[in-house]
Amino acid sequence: MSDTAPAKPPLLELDKLSLSFGGLRALTELDLQVSEGEIVSVIGPNGAGKTSVFNVITGVYKPTSGDVRFAGQSIAGKRQFQITRLGIARTFQSLRLFQNMTVKENVKAATYGHTKASPPESILRLPRARREEREVDALAEEVLSFFGERLRGYRWNQPAYVLSYANRRRLEIARALATRPRLLLLDEPAAGMNPNETLEVTEVIGRLRDELGLAILVIEHDMHVVEGISDRVVALDHGIKITEGAFDAVATHPAVVEAYLGRDPEALAEA
Amino acid sequence: MQVFIQTLVNGLVTGCLYALIALGYTMVYGVLKLLNFAHGDVYMVGAFIGYFVIQWFGGPNHLSIPVPLLIVLMLVISGLGTGLLGVAIERFAYRPLRDAPRIAPLITALGVSFVLENTVLLLFGGFVRSYNTTDFISDTNGIHIAGAHIDSVEIMIFVLTGVLCWVLLQIVNKTTLGKSMRAVASDREAAEMLGINVDRTIALTFFIGSVMAGVAGVMSGLEFQSISATIGFLAGLKAFTAAVVGGIGSVTGAMVGGIFIGLCEAFSLSYISEKYSDLIVFGILIVTMLVRPTGIFGRRALQKV
Amino acid sequence: MPQIGVDEWVAQSGERREQGTGLGRALATLDARFGWWPRLALAAAVGLVFGLSTGNVNLLTVGFTCLLYAILSLGLNIAAGWSGLLDLGYIAFVGFGAYGYAIFSSSALGTGGSGGAHLAAFESIPIVVIAAGLVGVVIGLIALRLEGDYLAIVTLFVGQAFFEVVNNVDPGTLGGVNGIFSIDSLHGLSGNVSTPRGYYLVALIIIVGLAAVLHLLDTSRTGRAWRALRDDPLAASAMTIPVNKLKVMAFSFSAAIGALGGTLFAAQTSSVFPTNFTENILILIFACLVLGGAGSIAGAIAGGIIVWALEQMLGSPTDAGYLFYGLILLTLFLKIRPWWKLGAVLAGIVVFGFLAHAIVGAISSSATAGHPGSTGWIGSAVKDWVIVPSDPIGYGNILFILVICLVLALVRLQGTARLVLVVPTVYLAACCWESRLIVNPAITTQIMLGVILIVTMAARPNGLLGSRRVEML
Repeated sequence: MSDTAPAKPPLLELDKLSLSFGGLRALTELDLQVSEGEIVSVIGPNGAGKTSVFNVITGVYKPTSGDVRFAGQSIAGKRQFQITRLGIARTFQSLRLFQNMTVKENVKAATYGHTKASPPESILRLPRARREEREVDALAEEVLSFFGERLRGYRWNQPAYVLSYANRRRLEIARALATRPRLLLLDEPAAGMNPNETLEVTEVIGRLRDELGLAILVIEHDMHVVEGISDRVVALDHGIKITEGAFDAVATHPAVVEAYLGRDPEALAEA
Repeated sequence: MQVFIQTLVNGLVTGCLYALIALGYTMVYGVLKLLNFAHGDVYMVGAFIGYFVIQWFGGPNHLSIPVPLLIVLMLVISGLGTGLLGVAIERFAYRPLRDAPRIAPLITALGVSFVLENTVLLLFGGFVRSYNTTDFISDTNGIHIAGAHIDSVEIMIFVLTGVLCWVLLQIVNKTTLGKSMRAVASDREAAEMLGINVDRTIALTFFIGSVMAGVAGVMSGLEFQSISATIGFLAGLKAFTAAVVGGIGSVTGAMVGGIFIGLCEAFSLSYISEKYSDLIVFGILIVTMLVRPTGIFGRRALQKV
Repeated sequence: MPQIGVDEWVAQSGERREQGTGLGRALATLDARFGWWPRLALAAAVGLVFGLSTGNVNLLTVGFTCLLYAILSLGLNIAAGWSGLLDLGYIAFVGFGAYGYAIFSSSALGTGGSGGAHLAAFESIPIVVIAAGLVGVVIGLIALRLEGDYLAIVTLFVGQAFFEVVNNVDPGTLGGVNGIFSIDSLHGLSGNVSTPRGYYLVALIIIVGLAAVLHLLDTSRTGRAWRALRDDPLAASAMTIPVNKLKVMAFSFSAAIGALGGTLFAAQTSSVFPTNFTENILILIFACLVLGGAGSIAGAIAGGIIVWALEQMLGSPTDAGYLFYGLILLTLFLKIRPWWKLGAVLAGIVVFGFLAHAIVGAISSSATAGHPGSTGWIGSAVKDWVIVPSDPIGYGNILFILVICLVLALVRLQGTARLVLVVPTVYLAACCWESRLIVNPAITTQIMLGVILIVTMAARPNGLLGSRRVEML
């Protein structure tokens, strides 16, 4: 089948991206693309630089060299909240919920970027402020309903710190969704989950792509999840991309196996 | 030229005292992340203890024991007294608040400061008392440099501060206690899980810091002679500035910061104006914070994202 | 599928346990039953009735000061309570407002005690408040470079710097050490507020209005953003919140409200001195905030009222006596269970006292010749109970130290030993109170305030009306 449509630029593009902390090279000349509606998984042993990729994309760190482009536009060096407003949202490896706010408030807080009411407007409850509050409320309920009964009803008014671990992870994702992203960065969404919950997470990620049309970049260690969701897998080690491709190819690639398990000279010689 | 040297000497003298007090602030901040506002008042209590030791042995004009012995006794008794006071404060006021929101121990510290200052006011009155050092230590001996005079009390301050700082650095860097202190400062929970007796480490930290403040109090009394219940606040504030400018949490920083602030204060007193010297010191703090927010020797706490 | 009723009840068991039983639960149920606006209306009504019904000038002035402190702590709440910014220099904003009003609405800008601006209240106050807001923006921009404790440190020094400036700089306009006096009372149009009741009502109107405005703000996107920023600035930034802009906004609002309180203060007391704005006052304001529970509007107001009421009660010997004995009795009530033990301890204290008084009196008559410091019926009641020698000062001092040691020992003991030790401790504390503490009310006030702060923080680190918080360390 011939491809007659002109190729769209990828939604997210990392171009020879490097990040160093003093003498420590976290990322070295990394190339990575994510297209619309694609789920890309990033795997690699601990310390490979996976979360650093997220941090550079979302503006926590400025790249030492190279570029990050979103929808064709360079975002390297922009501030975090600016990048998020452009359409990139993330979750954190170690949960960072607003502990003392309720579940619903956590989600509503994330809608700040696409509401415009100023403090005087809010105080006087002018029409625009009231309308935005209604919309924000509706959006929060809609986003929380994505997880079925888990985060519904009475849960809305509970402070986030009473939630179970799995529910907290779900709330993180819900909060990120409230920013109306086009690209979602999930940092180890299945960490610490039992097999049932892991299965649920896998389904949810699939639904995020299918129902909401999101492009998703996932860091994950659990290979079942990676296998279940990925269109493409990228393997990192010591800040360098060692290979990328379909799951089966990457999972059995000798360099990837070596990175995780250690060197097997025979297998390497064969490859 | 003489003015310059004299100012330098004065600056170093006050700098030494600020350094000693600053060490207490910085060590406590290191292990508890607490800004111990009551520390300046511990210094004040030390000065008072020293005063009463002099009175106990007959007062400045009729001493019943030789002067060197008196000074040793003053330092030891005051140091022990303030050390125990510091430990008691930690035990009863701060320990219940180990896991409370950061603002709570701050308020408690302010409360402790209130109680200390006003207890001394209540018990001993608000009028200024004097060590009358010149009655028992002549201020004409000492050495002369380029026309400037350094008397024996000042020499003693230099020597004692140097010795104490050196001892402290040995403790922090070479002993198990020092290692425990650094571990607790780094991550209290992990230190506890590794078998370090966190409560005891913190108590000892308070003890050492308070002893230093007490010693500074006695020496301040000997050098500047007048003491009152309110000297703790301003001295504490300046020592605090010193700790922050040097990098709060860093022992070397407190020492360097103390000397630095002492010198700044002396030079602005001499060459600019008495009215503005405090403002200048604070201005230096603000500038340092803007240029190098973690202080000279401070380390930026890296957050894992 | 979660079962209706069952799962929700189970899920909320943790919250129920936290509320406890008795008073805590009652308050929480009240909380849930009545909306916020009815409660505000009720509080406003109570305040209004109080203000209109009493003719006691003293009470009205005290009431004004309570409300003033409540206003000040509400302002501090925005920065420290909602946004988690430790602004220890807040007092500078209050002073800015007070001095600003003083300069514009008095003869300060004229020469030789005459002339001057004498602006009407509704002219000078907005100018000062807006100027304070701008200063708050500047301080906020500086504060952006600083994290947590460093922010606290720098702001602390800004506060101190303010004191130095008004104390030393330009005595001609700013009055130097002597301050500015003969400040106009609030006047404008044809009205003039000059009576204590007038000032009280003005303060009441302002605080009700402020509470309403702040509540509306708290429940809006700005309030949510501030609270998110307090919990986790990094995550907030990742969730579209412009953290820096909000920090500066918080400082600005905080400064403006502080200045507003300052103008009220200047107008009511007709004079301002540098010593009005020292760290003692700052501590009081923080105490108000934290005592009441940082982060809640009701808490800030309650804290303001409590702290100032305490200060007042400790000023007069009779009232102070109520407070002292009342607090002791309250502590005993709350801490000693079951009832028979409480009764035994109380009886023990009384009997111990009379016995001691009788024995010591028999040994030396001068030892009991003094008068208890309390006046009124308390004084006559305890006259034969406490031991007050004819020269109480030194005796009182020793007792003070002794009582402190006993109390510290009490904290460490458990069970019967503790109950037994309570008896002599309370008795000696009463003797000390009557012979020494009550005689120096100003100092005693400060000591008691410090003790109350320490004890409250140890017992309820989240403040009296605060709710449980989880902090990210």
